[in-house]
Amino acid sequence: MTTKNMHKPLLQVKDLKQHFALKKEKLFGEKQVVKAVDGVSFDIMPGETLSIVGESGCGKSTTGRSILRLDEPTAGEVLLFGKNLVEMTKKELRLARKDIQIIFQDPYASLNPRRTIRQMLTEAMSIQKVVPPAQQEARMLELMSFVGLRPEYLERYPHEFSGGQRQRIGIARALAVNPKLIICDESVSALDVSIQAQILNLLKKLQRELDLTFLFISHDLSVVRHISDRVMVMYLGKVVEIADKHSLFSQPHHPYTKALFSSIPIIDKEHRKERILLKGDIPSPLNPPSGCSFHTRCPFATDKCKAEIPNLRDITPTHKVACHFAENLV
Amino acid sequence: MKDEKVLEVKNLQTYFYSSEGIAKAVDGVSFTLHKGETLGIVGESGCGKSMTSLSLLRLVPSPPGKIINGEILLNNTDLLKLSDEELRKIRGNKISMIFQEPMTSLNPVLTVGEQIAETIRLHQGLSRKEAWQKAVEMIRLVGIPAPEKRAKQEPYQLSGGMRQRIMIAMALACTPDVLIADEPTTALDVTIQAQIIDIIRNLQQQLGMSIIFITHDLGVVAEICDKIAVMYAGQVVEEGATDSIFAKPLHPYTNGLIQSLPKLYEDQEELSTIHGTVPSTYDYPIGCRYAERCPFATDLCHDQQPDLMTVVDDKKVRCWMYSEEWQGKHLRGAV
Amino acid sequence: MTLFILKRLAQIIPVTLGVTLVVFLIMQMIPGDPAIILAGEGASTETVEELRENLGLNKPLYVQYGEYVNDLLHGDMGHSLKNKQPVLEEIATRLPITIELAFYSILITIVLGLIAGIISAIRPYSIIDASFMVVALLGISLPSFWLGILLMYVFSVQLQWLPVAGWDSAKHIILPAITLGAGGAAIVARMTRSSMLDVVNQDYIRTAKAKGLKGYVIIAKHALRNALIPVITVVGLQFGSLLGGTVLVESVFAVNGLGRMIVDAIRTRDIPVVQGGVLVASLIFVVINLAVDIMYRLFNKRIDLN
Repeated sequence: MTTKNMHKPLLQVKDLKQHFALKKEKLFGEKQVVKAVDGVSFDIMPGETLSIVGESGCGKSTTGRSILRLDEPTAGEVLLFGKNLVEMTKKELRLARKDIQIIFQDPYASLNPRRTIRQMLTEAMSIQKVVPPAQQEARMLELMSFVGLRPEYLERYPHEFSGGQRQRIGIARALAVNPKLIICDESVSALDVSIQAQILNLLKKLQRELDLTFLFISHDLSVVRHISDRVMVMYLGKVVEIADKHSLFSQPHHPYTKALFSSIPIIDKEHRKERILLKGDIPSPLNPPSGCSFHTRCPFATDKCKAEIPNLRDITPTHKVACHFAENLV
Repeated sequence: MKDEKVLEVKNLQTYFYSSEGIAKAVDGVSFTLHKGETLGIVGESGCGKSMTSLSLLRLVPSPPGKIINGEILLNNTDLLKLSDEELRKIRGNKISMIFQEPMTSLNPVLTVGEQIAETIRLHQGLSRKEAWQKAVEMIRLVGIPAPEKRAKQEPYQLSGGMRQRIMIAMALACTPDVLIADEPTTALDVTIQAQIIDIIRNLQQQLGMSIIFITHDLGVVAEICDKIAVMYAGQVVEEGATDSIFAKPLHPYTNGLIQSLPKLYEDQEELSTIHGTVPSTYDYPIGCRYAERCPFATDLCHDQQPDLMTVVDDKKVRCWMYSEEWQGKHLRGAV
Repeated sequence: MTLFILKRLAQIIPVTLGVTLVVFLIMQMIPGDPAIILAGEGASTETVEELRENLGLNKPLYVQYGEYVNDLLHGDMGHSLKNKQPVLEEIATRLPITIELAFYSILITIVLGLIAGIISAIRPYSIIDASFMVVALLGISLPSFWLGILLMYVFSVQLQWLPVAGWDSAKHIILPAITLGAGGAAIVARMTRSSMLDVVNQDYIRTAKAKGLKGYVIIAKHALRNALIPVITVVGLQFGSLLGGTVLVESVFAVNGLGRMIVDAIRTRDIPVVQGGVLVASLIFVVINLAVDIMYRLFNKRIDLN
């Protein structure tokens, strides 16, 4: 980690915002805006894995999509090797995308059912022109062995594979263009645990061998704990806490992070913590609470929390928290 | 009190018939549920746990599904021998069910109050007004604020967590003997899951029902269940008290499953995995269904299917390693 | 919702103007000079010219259109070229007949369509289902004038149960209404069936079964209400083809409705009558569409929000 920090960040996200306008429903009403991502900033160092965790509607997936400009961000900067993706032309962006690939939750939905694996990989390589046609065959065999699939599977169609195998194909396709950064958006969430373990091992192996950087988006905290170097917790479009994983899991500062961790069902009785049951539901991102957006469910909220939005601030050099009372609550 | 048997399932077989062949989704499942007890049925997708739960109330889609064999004894009455009309009086009354998807399991065009009240009118013969009162009470019981107002709302006005609470209110409205919960928290966020588990546990203490909790999540099972049945390829492969199963899993599959979970309190470079994939429900191997993936498999395992055998006390396992044959051959004290 | 209704109402204005323009222009393009037809064969050129002058037919087109719209705004649809009667009066006597015919037809469409669709869906792939769906396919495929003549031949000519033509008693209504409603009934039946089959596989129907509800309660209370949502749109669309159908059916059964009035007027180049008739028919169509849209939205609000 220390040597890694000497390098420049591979990806820097600065004050990223993604606001979606809703259709007007009432004649004299205000136009409603969902602030799905509202001022998110973070860096990813080369070779590290940063995870984003949070519950539905927290903006973790939207953050991933905005970085790739799959949804055009409303504001902010996304610097890849210092170059701002948000300001690029379509053509420049297409070239830049060879360095960032994304793997989705449902590999089946993101694979074209009418194309064989060979056709898919050839297409991926041809679009970015990273591999000369003469070497494509060799590269394909290499990719298949990377992800642990037999070479004869190249001629098969997606429906002939199981869920775990499809996710391997999704990974092979992402690797085809030699990316530097891979965004994994709930990539193992739909898999059974035994298959999930296989894919997680594969991702870790590939990271070691190919020097990859991961942005890992997931709601599953034990998976995140296993794969990450650093973890970022989001709530209602904002970062509430970001830290290296040991610091975060052993000593969470934000009351939301604490409640989240205490909610995970644990097998070993000795590790079970006293559960902090949060009141009510996650508020609608259409109408987020004033001040700290967590104050409606926070057991420690004060008047200050209702009025003032807390900044994300350093508690230790590797641990940032957005809570007015972070120090008092440990 | 715990010794009183409420539900006993014997050798249940539910098959699906299609042009591709016969899918043996549930293939000889047996278990017993005592009063006030919570039984967890765990397993990965396709192991038959959901079809087992649907079979209990004869809700398997038919065609193509059919319960071809077995007994489902509720207080010694075999549900499989009842007429449709007799069974109807059991459903939602003596045994009720909640499902995985709270978003789609409620009727979108009826108020949630009416959906609860109609069950009460049906089974308890209360008047419209009384049934509505009771529905509001049930909504209050599952911890939804302003129940009078919520009862008049339609499902789209409620969050996922609230809808699952409504499902629970509906299922418990007639104080059933058995509640079947089929992955009730899988679609929910973890903080909401914690709320729902808390409610189910509290209401079980208040109302004293027995619960069958179907899930793939071992953590949830560990927290809520008294005993566990692990399913693999349509069969129960291990059954026993929760603590004992997690402390010392007997079946290699149970062990593999527990080991492949990432640990929250321990750094691991690599996760242990289970080699290979689940066999097709259309074409199970002749021997042990786990043999192909099992690191300990011998010729015996590949050739002959083991029975679910009692090892110690209430602990049962479907594995040759715990048989006399194996002990004689390998001179190995497995237990 | 209010915003939506206001928006849809505002849309009616340009649509109506468009309709008047199209109607006006098409009648100008149709070959045949109304002045010559009115004056009769062998009338002198002077007579024809005088007639044309009186009718204002020699003014520039845009002036004629302007006058036409202006008159419309004052509730004046002009006079029939043939019998000099105000067009509005003519329409006022004819329209109720067509509305009556349309009402019974749509009743047949809805009632027959729903019953057949529901029965089919309750026992899918059974003999009843198969035979209903074959009949429905026939209903969609047969042209209404052919069906009308066939019904007339069987029930009026051969069996002599019902009158051949006219519009005097309840008996007269039966055959035209069936002829006009049959196609729609077939479409509604097919739509209801597929919609019901979709709904009965939904999770909430499984919930209803798990509660121990009786079979008919599940169908009537839980399934049908949801299944009807797409059917409403289909019924709405049927109104459109129904209006077109009245033209044919009224001609076949010699019913003096709006449709027949338009056909006769076209034949005699009675431009004001055609314009008035088509305009009224179009307006009815626009209003019905608006009503269907609003109804669909009311029913569907909850599903949109999901």
